[in-house]
Amino acid sequence: MWQTPTLDPRTKLLIVLCLSSLAVLIKNVYILLLVLVLTLAAVKLTGGEIWHVFSKLKRFISIFLAVIILQSVFTNEGQAIVQVMQVKLITDVGLLRGLQTILRFFIVIAAAVLMTTANPRDIIQGLIQWKVPYELAFMVTIAIRFLPLLQEEATDTLTALQLRGVNLKQIPILKRLRTYSYLLMPLLTSVLMKSRDLSVAMEMRAFRAYPQRTSLRELQFSGIDYLAMALSMLIFLLLLVAALGFN
Amino acid sequence: MISLQDVSFHYKRGKWVFQELNLEIRRNLITFIVGPNGGGKTTLGKLMAGILKPQTGMVLIDNLNTKEVPLAELGAKVGYLFQEPERQIFANTVREEIGFVLDLREVPPAESKAKVDQALAQFQLTHLAALSPLKLSRGEKQRLVIAAIMVNQPQFFILDEPTTGLDQERKAILSGVIEGLQQQGIGMAIISHDQSFVQRHAQQLITVAKGEIVDVANPNT
Repeated sequence: MWQTPTLDPRTKLLIVLCLSSLAVLIKNVYILLLVLVLTLAAVKLTGGEIWHVFSKLKRFISIFLAVIILQSVFTNEGQAIVQVMQVKLITDVGLLRGLQTILRFFIVIAAAVLMTTANPRDIIQGLIQWKVPYELAFMVTIAIRFLPLLQEEATDTLTALQLRGVNLKQIPILKRLRTYSYLLMPLLTSVLMKSRDLSVAMEMRAFRAYPQRTSLRELQFSGIDYLAMALSMLIFLLLLVAALGFN
Repeated sequence: MISLQDVSFHYKRGKWVFQELNLEIRRNLITFIVGPNGGGKTTLGKLMAGILKPQTGMVLIDNLNTKEVPLAELGAKVGYLFQEPERQIFANTVREEIGFVLDLREVPPAESKAKVDQALAQFQLTHLAALSPLKLSRGEKQRLVIAAIMVNQPQFFILDEPTTGLDQERKAILSGVIEGLQQQGIGMAIISHDQSFVQRHAQQLITVAKGEIVDVANPNT
């Protein structure tokens, strides 16, 4: 029976780095599609939930369609697919560029989902062992820790505003923008209050009292980590060379 | 009347919080919802306000099904005070906080001003009108939120732990506000752990534990 390998968070970071870099560097749509398949496979192999990737992408469908249309409209090269008088509205090259952008987007989001399979505390420990200053690593932990809380607060705030009889869909666009500024007020207040309380709590627990920190738990690479890292680097180089060949 | 009929509810990917719950909250009584932490009190309050929608069954607020009516429309019927009043303070001054929704709804300025002045006076906030809401005490913030909701003239009010963090003096002011709201004919459901507050005001007492209503009593009627 298949058992999900427990990879070191640093290995996962390297895999994400390789996949995201490929998404940015490669232009060929077929290779980008291959990178997406590899990314989804990596998510699956590390115990991530692929449906989670698609549920995240579902809400961006309208943006994806807009990207395809905009890329097509602003790209004048290639054969016209839709043309009005002498103006090429949608071209084959434009469509291809739109597709490239969307595939890149898919890959980056799927790669980010891969990181959700790692324990946030372990990610920080990994960064520290990579000699990232503790203060920076700690900031990342705090951001990860407070994100769901902020999301909950934003939902409550929007609910409270709607319960005051404000139907955002029925407000004219200019007034709607003003209404959004009202939503920011409680969120900003909450962030500032939390950061003030947190900084006091950190001081009370002697944060940065000593320049050197020790960790109770040290991360260790295992054989599977070395294998996964070597494979990621190999795939990264092969696909990059293949992409250069196609260009 | 708020009526819950065969209501079952669970959070996304969670266990059932309530199953086939039936309950009626009448406008002429102050209803208190009490019970241990994690028993489902806040969830019940949010279901009653239409913030959460049941998976099966229905919640009717004056015969409006919360699943079918937008939250903004329900807001005209029911007001909800969150446990942390800061989450529902939006504007830069106390006066603007009470009046901005009226402006958004294009209520004529003279009428809007009259309503805001009346709410400020009713909730003892007139002397604070020009201040930033952030400078208010917790009790004042609560009164501000209640005042801002009251300009919508809701028929019900749901208050989640309104006495948290209030001293005896502020609690007495809140008691006055609650009695005033009842005199105006506004129905109230209050979620609370505060025994003395419950004893003073409860006319209907609902005890919730582990997703079930374990007791309904009418202590002060």
